[in-house]
Amino acid sequence: MREIKLLLRKDLLILLNNLKLILKNPLRLFPYAAIIGYFFFMYWLRLGNTDESGTPEIPELDTNGLPEVDFPVQNIVGGVTMLALIFLIYQLYRATKKNVSFFKMADVNLLFTAPVKPENLLIYYMGRSILPSLGGAALFTFYGISQSADKLDLGFGNLFFTVLAVGFFFFLIQPIRFLVYTLHTKFGILEYIKIGIIIFAILLGGMILIPGLMAEKFWQGMFSWIASPWFDLFPIVGWSRGIMSYWSHENWILSSAFVGLYCLFYFVVLKLVIQFSGYYYEDVLEVTKSNEEKLEKVRGKKEQSEANFSLNTKKKLALPDFGPGAKAFYWRNYIHASRQDFHPLFGVYSLILAGLGILFAILSLFDWFSHTVIYGYLLILIIIYFLAGTGRANIGDLKKPFFYLVPASWGAKFWNMIKLDLVQLLIFCTVLIVPTVLIAGLDWLVIPSFLIGILAFYLTGLGINMIPQIGLDEGWDRVLIKPLMIGGILLFGLIPAGIASIIAFAVSKQFVWALLTLSVGMTFVALILVHVTLDILKRLEFKEL
Amino acid sequence: MLTVTNLIKTYGKQNAVDDITFELQGGEVVGLLGPNGAGKSTTMKCIVGLLRKTSGEITLGGYDHLTVEAKRLFSYIPETPYVYDLLTVREHLQFIAQAYNVVNWKKKGDDLMELFELNDKAEKLGRDLSKGMRQKVSICCALLPDPQVLFFDEPMIGLDPKAIKNTRQVFKELKNQGKTILVSTHLIDSVESIADRIMILKDGRIIGNDSISNLKMQAEQGAGVSLEDLFLELTKDA
Repeated sequence: MREIKLLLRKDLLILLNNLKLILKNPLRLFPYAAIIGYFFFMYWLRLGNTDESGTPEIPELDTNGLPEVDFPVQNIVGGVTMLALIFLIYQLYRATKKNVSFFKMADVNLLFTAPVKPENLLIYYMGRSILPSLGGAALFTFYGISQSADKLDLGFGNLFFTVLAVGFFFFLIQPIRFLVYTLHTKFGILEYIKIGIIIFAILLGGMILIPGLMAEKFWQGMFSWIASPWFDLFPIVGWSRGIMSYWSHENWILSSAFVGLYCLFYFVVLKLVIQFSGYYYEDVLEVTKSNEEKLEKVRGKKEQSEANFSLNTKKKLALPDFGPGAKAFYWRNYIHASRQDFHPLFGVYSLILAGLGILFAILSLFDWFSHTVIYGYLLILIIIYFLAGTGRANIGDLKKPFFYLVPASWGAKFWNMIKLDLVQLLIFCTVLIVPTVLIAGLDWLVIPSFLIGILAFYLTGLGINMIPQIGLDEGWDRVLIKPLMIGGILLFGLIPAGIASIIAFAVSKQFVWALLTLSVGMTFVALILVHVTLDILKRLEFKEL
Repeated sequence: MLTVTNLIKTYGKQNAVDDITFELQGGEVVGLLGPNGAGKSTTMKCIVGLLRKTSGEITLGGYDHLTVEAKRLFSYIPETPYVYDLLTVREHLQFIAQAYNVVNWKKKGDDLMELFELNDKAEKLGRDLSKGMRQKVSICCALLPDPQVLFFDEPMIGLDPKAIKNTRQVFKELKNQGKTILVSTHLIDSVESIADRIMILKDGRIIGNDSISNLKMQAEQGAGVSLEDLFLELTKDA
């Protein structure tokens, strides 16, 4: 166990240096103090309004004398369980693509080649990874609960077991992913693991579909299995729920038993990892380097590669020219998009998102979901594309010298730079909205309103990001003026459009008029921002953006 | 001291290292040359255990290269010098001293820091060092345990001229101390004066493995030909 001592000493030194850095510049603590202050404020505010007059509710009994099912509670429990299950399956599936790493590149260079036992390094680092999980879980719990502190019993036991439940859930996923990848490198059984995960996902899907179809209404039955108490025995997701069930029974022995299950499971996973990982250094090399590069990117040392998240990097392409001058940028983006997805104009991500909308429409047709779900989904998509617009200028053509050297007007370059995004956006939105409106029987005006609105939001996001980057030379100016600018756009653009939209809804009681008003309002904002962008684009010079 | 027998490393269907066999005797300095993608770094990473060999055998001082006993014998200086962000230069040396069980490391650590002009940076954190400084820390860490064998993977990249000169000087001193060195580099002249032998890799295979003078004779080159000319002659496409 010499390695454990060595690593412990190293981490203590790092902790000490961190504390010294904080003492040198106590202002570093300001964001943390702000977070703690926020929590205190929220708890003080909520706890002051605690309703203590409530008596325990006696459940309603049905005609057979049995308690009636509380559907809202069942759906909340089931919905959260389903999200956790989706996350778990996604993480398991990711394990077949890419390993996880508990190491840093400094460990690779300085420790992996040193006379130390690889398994001891793994035991230490894998165990240590519980700290960020528990820290994140504590933050998540305190933040989440602060919103409804007046309605919940904030005893030590409740908070303690909630932090443990969330922390263990996120902690255990990493060793499991490591084990899956280890089994793959040791036995080459990747395909079997993939098939296993897919079957697992289908079975879990069946656990929602079957009771849903058996029930009088789909939404009343869909979560009746996964929200029932016996599902607490389901590994990981169920165990976390079992730990958290302390809120209802306040039996610490029962919740501790689920903690015990987690500990036993971790021990088994650790034993298996040690058994099969052997000389695992190569397995973690690539992902450790990739993590380090991401970290450097966050620190601003390196650009993120445009090849990230690409699905189709090995695709061989032989596209003809699209034309001279600025059209070359459209051509470049087209090639890039071809490698990023399975089709440059409409890829797998678009297919999934459009499919989801159509699915909601079908479900609403059979009265399983109300139209509100569809409207909510459309608004979420508008927000996503607004955020995508704000991120668009971070990568791509503006960072390449070609953008400055190609003999074409700035307007043409700008148009060709964003043309593919607009085409993709319009195709995706049309594929989504037309069938959705027709199936769900929505007002046809939703179609143009949604198309115009999402375009306007995307262009607004793009303008918000590009204008300060192009127009302002110094980084600090950008940092200071960008929030001001966003504030201005919010104050004079988004908020008036939003208020007008709410008024339209209040008057008409129809979503379509609210969406149309919002879209028209945002179109004015987008047009102004595009005009400003084109105006200052002439000032563009090659620099680190 | 180092024996590599029928080493193969494949990525998918491609052989990055294609059945190579060579030996390094104790006290020998060998330069590993080759164009980009020849397999130099892969070979070195297989030897030091960062990459898993597909097949073949590697021993160091008679021990399998993955054993703790073998690892006590060598140090590795990687191409990209990553250090711990929140350890100072001196703490890096302290860490390595513990990892390799080096007693009385302080005097040696100070000497190394002086040689590489890191004295005034001793209390600087890793995150505040430039790439060149990190490379110097990396070299100091490798030299501190006084290993029998040293693997240098492109050690001059990122160093300033004075540090390059010092590194060359270190090579010479290590050679005089009887250390075994395998150095992979693109800077041919940096090994020309000290290497006892040159190994030239191309497409994962060794296409030349001899002393510089013998290689020149094999390539039927004149007496005035430089190692660079010889390298280009041997690695040119047929």
